[in-house]
Amino acid sequence: MKLLVVDDEKNILKLYKVELEDEGYTVVTANSGKEALELFEKENPDIVTLDILMPDIDGIRVLRQMKELKPNIPIIMLTAYDYRDDFSVWVSDAYVVKSSDLSSLKATIKQIIEKGNQ
Amino acid sequence: MESEQIKELQKTLRIYELTKAILLVDDFDELLRIITVETTLLFNARGSIIRIVENNKLGVKASIGISNNVIESTSTIDFVDGLSEMAVMQDKTIIYNKTDDISTITDFNNALCTPLKTGSVSLGTFTVIDKLDEQGNAIPFDENDVKLFEGFTTIAAIVIKKLCLYEKALLKEKEANKEKLKAQELNIYLQSLINNTADAIITMDTDRVIKSWNYGAENTYGYSRDEAIGKSYLLMPDFLFDIERLYTERVKKGETIKNVETVHKTKNGSIIDVSITMAPIKDLYEKIIGISYISRDITIKKKTERELMKKNDMLNRLIFIGSAMRSTLDLERLIRMILTAVTTGDGFGFNRAMLFLLDEDKNILKGVMGVGPSGHEEAWRIWSTLSMENKNLNNLIEEIEKGPLRKDSFMDKLCCSIELPLSDNTVLALSVKNKKAYNVQDAHLHEYANFPLVQHLGSTSYAVIPLISQEKVIGVLWVDNLFSRRQITDNDIEYLSGFTSQIASAIENARLFERVYQAEKELENIFESISDMLYVTDTDYIIKSVNQAVVNKIGKPKKEIIGKKSFEIFSDTFVSCETRFKNFLKKSGEPLIEEVEDTFTDNTYLLSCSPILDSSGNILGNVHIVRDITELKKLKERADANERMAALGEIAAKVAHEIRNPLLSIGGFARRLERRLADEEKDYARIIVDEVQRLENILSDTLSFVKTTRLKFSKVNLNEMFDSIITLLEPVLQERQNEIVEEIPHDFIISINEERFREALINIITNANQFTTSGTIKIFAERRSIQIFDSLGDFKIRQEAVISISDTGCGIRREDIPRIFDPFFTTRTNGTGLGLAITKRVIEENGGRIEVQSTLGEGTTFKIYLNNEEE
Repeated sequence: MKLLVVDDEKNILKLYKVELEDEGYTVVTANSGKEALELFEKENPDIVTLDILMPDIDGIRVLRQMKELKPNIPIIMLTAYDYRDDFSVWVSDAYVVKSSDLSSLKATIKQIIEKGNQ
Repeated sequence: MESEQIKELQKTLRIYELTKAILLVDDFDELLRIITVETTLLFNARGSIIRIVENNKLGVKASIGISNNVIESTSTIDFVDGLSEMAVMQDKTIIYNKTDDISTITDFNNALCTPLKTGSVSLGTFTVIDKLDEQGNAIPFDENDVKLFEGFTTIAAIVIKKLCLYEKALLKEKEANKEKLKAQELNIYLQSLINNTADAIITMDTDRVIKSWNYGAENTYGYSRDEAIGKSYLLMPDFLFDIERLYTERVKKGETIKNVETVHKTKNGSIIDVSITMAPIKDLYEKIIGISYISRDITIKKKTERELMKKNDMLNRLIFIGSAMRSTLDLERLIRMILTAVTTGDGFGFNRAMLFLLDEDKNILKGVMGVGPSGHEEAWRIWSTLSMENKNLNNLIEEIEKGPLRKDSFMDKLCCSIELPLSDNTVLALSVKNKKAYNVQDAHLHEYANFPLVQHLGSTSYAVIPLISQEKVIGVLWVDNLFSRRQITDNDIEYLSGFTSQIASAIENARLFERVYQAEKELENIFESISDMLYVTDTDYIIKSVNQAVVNKIGKPKKEIIGKKSFEIFSDTFVSCETRFKNFLKKSGEPLIEEVEDTFTDNTYLLSCSPILDSSGNILGNVHIVRDITELKKLKERADANERMAALGEIAAKVAHEIRNPLLSIGGFARRLERRLADEEKDYARIIVDEVQRLENILSDTLSFVKTTRLKFSKVNLNEMFDSIITLLEPVLQERQNEIVEEIPHDFIISINEERFREALINIITNANQFTTSGTIKIFAERRSIQIFDSLGDFKIRQEAVISISDTGCGIRREDIPRIFDPFFTTRTNGTGLGLAITKRVIEENGGRIEVQSTLGEGTTFKIYLNNEEE
C-alpha cells in the first residue's frame, strides 16, 4: 500500500513518513503542490494525504487536478481545523484535522483501505 | 278914453282866456302856466309866480318873466322876497313898492302877492311883478289891480284846488292800475307754476268733484284734463275710500292735511306712492267752497326708502349671521349655518345652495354640503319653519342643528358626490379662476355651463359666487331658485357677494382651527405614543405633565404622578441629573443631553433636558426626554465585540497557522519518543505531548472561530437535538450532579445548520454545567411574534423562536457580562476562552442572536433568538 503524503513542512513530512511506515505503508512525500502532482502520476500512490495550505499550488487545486487525473484514488484532506463545511472536503474522500496526535489519521487511512477492500 | 276902453277890453279878454283855460285845461301844470301867462298879460306886468304849499313849504309851481336863477334860488326856500310868507301869514294881499324897502331883494320894483285860498284852506300864493306903463317903466299897482287880482286869484284857487284833487285821484287810479297789473302777473305766474310743477295740483269742490287738473296731475295719473274734470274719487284705490272720505271731512271743517303718504291708482291701474296735502279753498266770506289737493309721486323715493330698509335689514341679518358664524369653529356646523342663511326666506331666500371647497392638491372643487328641499311641498314646509325672525343666536343655531336642513338630504348627498376639475372650463371653475361671480340665466345658452351637472341639479338657471378670503379663492357657493323660479338678479348676487367674503373668512378660520386642532391632536398623540418617557417640570421640580411611557414605566396612574416633585417619582439617578441639568441650564439656557446608568434597574438612559422659555427668555420649566437605551447600548456593545473579534480572529488565524506546523512536529515526535522511552523520560515526553495537545486545541478553536463557512440549513427537530446532546453530555452532567430539565414544545422545528448549531448548544450547556454544582439546567423554548420593520420600511409581524438555557450556578460578575462573548475571555483556569465566542458566532451565522442575563450567586440565562419565519 503506497501513500503519497503532501505537505510544505519537511519536519511534518518526516514525522508522517516514519509514523506511517511504522504502520506498514510505503510512504512517498512531496513538499509542494507541483511535486505532489508529479509524484501522483509517477508513483501511482493508493492513497493521498493532502495539506490544504501550500505556498505554490494550494491543496484545493491539487485535489481537483488529482481527482481529474485519477478519480478513484482516495484523497484525505488534512485540515487545520474542522473543515467539514468546506467544499474541498466534500469532494475529497475524507478529512482529518491536523494534529500531533496521528491516531485519527491512521484510523481514517485504515477505514479507507477496508472500504476499498470490500 | 278910447285907450281906456281898449285896456278894459283887453282885460276882459284876458279874464275870459283865463276862465276858459281854467275850465278847459285839466293838466295841472299847463293850467298853472296858462294862469301865469294870462295874468302877466292882464296886468301888463313883467312876470308872475305861483307857489303851492307842499310839505309846509311854498314851492314854485309855475312862473313867467322871472330869471331862472331867481326861481332856483327861491324854489325851495321860503318865499324869497318875503312877500308870499307875509301874504300867507297875514292872510291878505300885499302890495310891494321898492321904495317901501321892506326886503333886501330888489330884483323887481313893484309886486302884488295874494294867498291862494279856497275857503279857509291856504293852497299857496300868487305873485305878479312889475306892472309896466306903455313905455315899459314899472309903475305901482293900484287898488283896481288889487281887486282884479284878488278876484281872479279866487277863481284860480278854486280851479287849482279842483285840479289838485283830480291829480290826487289820478295818482290813486294809477296806483290801483299798477296793483291790478301786479295781481295779474302773479296770477299768470301761479298758473304757470301750477301747470308746470311736477306735483299734481287738483282742485275739487266739497263733494270731491274735480274742478281743475294740472299737467302734473296728468303726468302723475295718466288722465287728461278732460278725462279728470267732473269726476270724483278718481284716484283712490278701493281700499282707501274710507280714509280719503275722512280726510275730506276734516278739510271741509277747515283743517289742512299736510304731507300724508298714501297710495293712489293711476289710469293704467298701477299703484303709486304719493304724498298728499289737502287744504280748504275759502271764498271772500271765509266759507269753504272747495278743496285744493296737491299730490306728489313719491314712488321713487319710497322705492329708495324700501331699498334702504331692505339693505339695512340685510345688513342686520349679515351682522347676525356673521356673529353666528363667528360663534362656531366647527367647520361642518359653520357651513350648515351658512347654507341655512343663504336659503332661508328672510336670509337670502335662495331655494337651494351648495358649497364647494377648493382642493389645491388635486386641483378640484369638491362639494362639501348642499341644502335645499327635494320638492315643492318640502320647500314650503322648510321655509315656513326656518326663519331667522325673532330668534336669538342660540335658537338659530339649535334650529339649524335640528332643523330640516339635514346633513344627509338628497341635495347634500348629491353635492358631496360632485368633484369638478379646475382644468375644465365650467362656470364653477371659471368662478375660481377669475374670482368672479356668474349668473347663469339659461344654462342652454351659456357657453361654460356644465351640462351634466345642470341635468343632475335640474335647474338651468343658477348663480355661482366665489368665496374669497384674503385674495385667495377657497371655494364657491352655488345657488338657484328651482322652486320659486324667481330670476336671480344682479342685486341678489351683489348682496350675496357681500356675504361671501364673510363666509370665506369664517371657513378659513374654521379650517385653520381644524388644522390647528389636528396638529394639536397629532402632537398629543406623538407625546402619548412616543416610547421615550417624556415629562415636563416647572422650576420647582413639580411634574406638570407626563406621557403614557412614563405611566407605563412608573406603574402609577397619571393623576398620581402629576403635581408631585420629580424626585418623588423618578429614581435618584434621574433627579441628581436633573439638578445638575438645572444648574447647567441656568447658566447656558441650552438643552443638555447625557447618558446615565440607573444603578437600580441596570438600565442605561439617555436623558435630555430642554428649557421651556417664555417670550422674554425666562425659564418656566423643563422638558425631559428619557430614552431607555439599554437595548441600543447592548447592540452597540455587540457590534463592538464583533469588531474586536474580527480583529482578534485575523491575528489569531495568522498566529495559528504559523505555529500549527511546528507544534505538530513537536507533538508528533514527542509521541514517538514517548512510545520508545520508559520511566521518567517517558513521563517527560508525555508532558510535551500534553502541552502540545493543549496548544493545538487552542489553535483549533481559534481557527474554527475565525474561519468563514458556508452553511447548510435544514429543518431540525429541536427536541431530538437536545435529546442527543443531553445523552452525549450525560456523563459530565452527572459528574457535577446537575439535573437537566427540558421544556420544549412538541415538534419544535427550527431551520438551522445542524452540526454547527449543535456545537453551539453543547458549548452553552457545557459552560452552564461547569459553573453549576448540584443545580438545575433548564432548557426552555417558545415561539413568539415580534414587530419589525422590513427593508422597505414596512411594518411586519414575524415569528421568532426563543431558546433559553438557564442554570442555577454561580452567575457572572456584572462587570464580566459585556465581555462574556469575547474571544479568549474565560474565568476558568483550563478554558480556551473561545467557547462562547464561537457559540455566538455560530448563532449569528444561523441568523439569530444570543443574550445573557446573570445574577451573581443565582445563576445565568442564555437566550437564543432565531428567526422562525417559514420560507
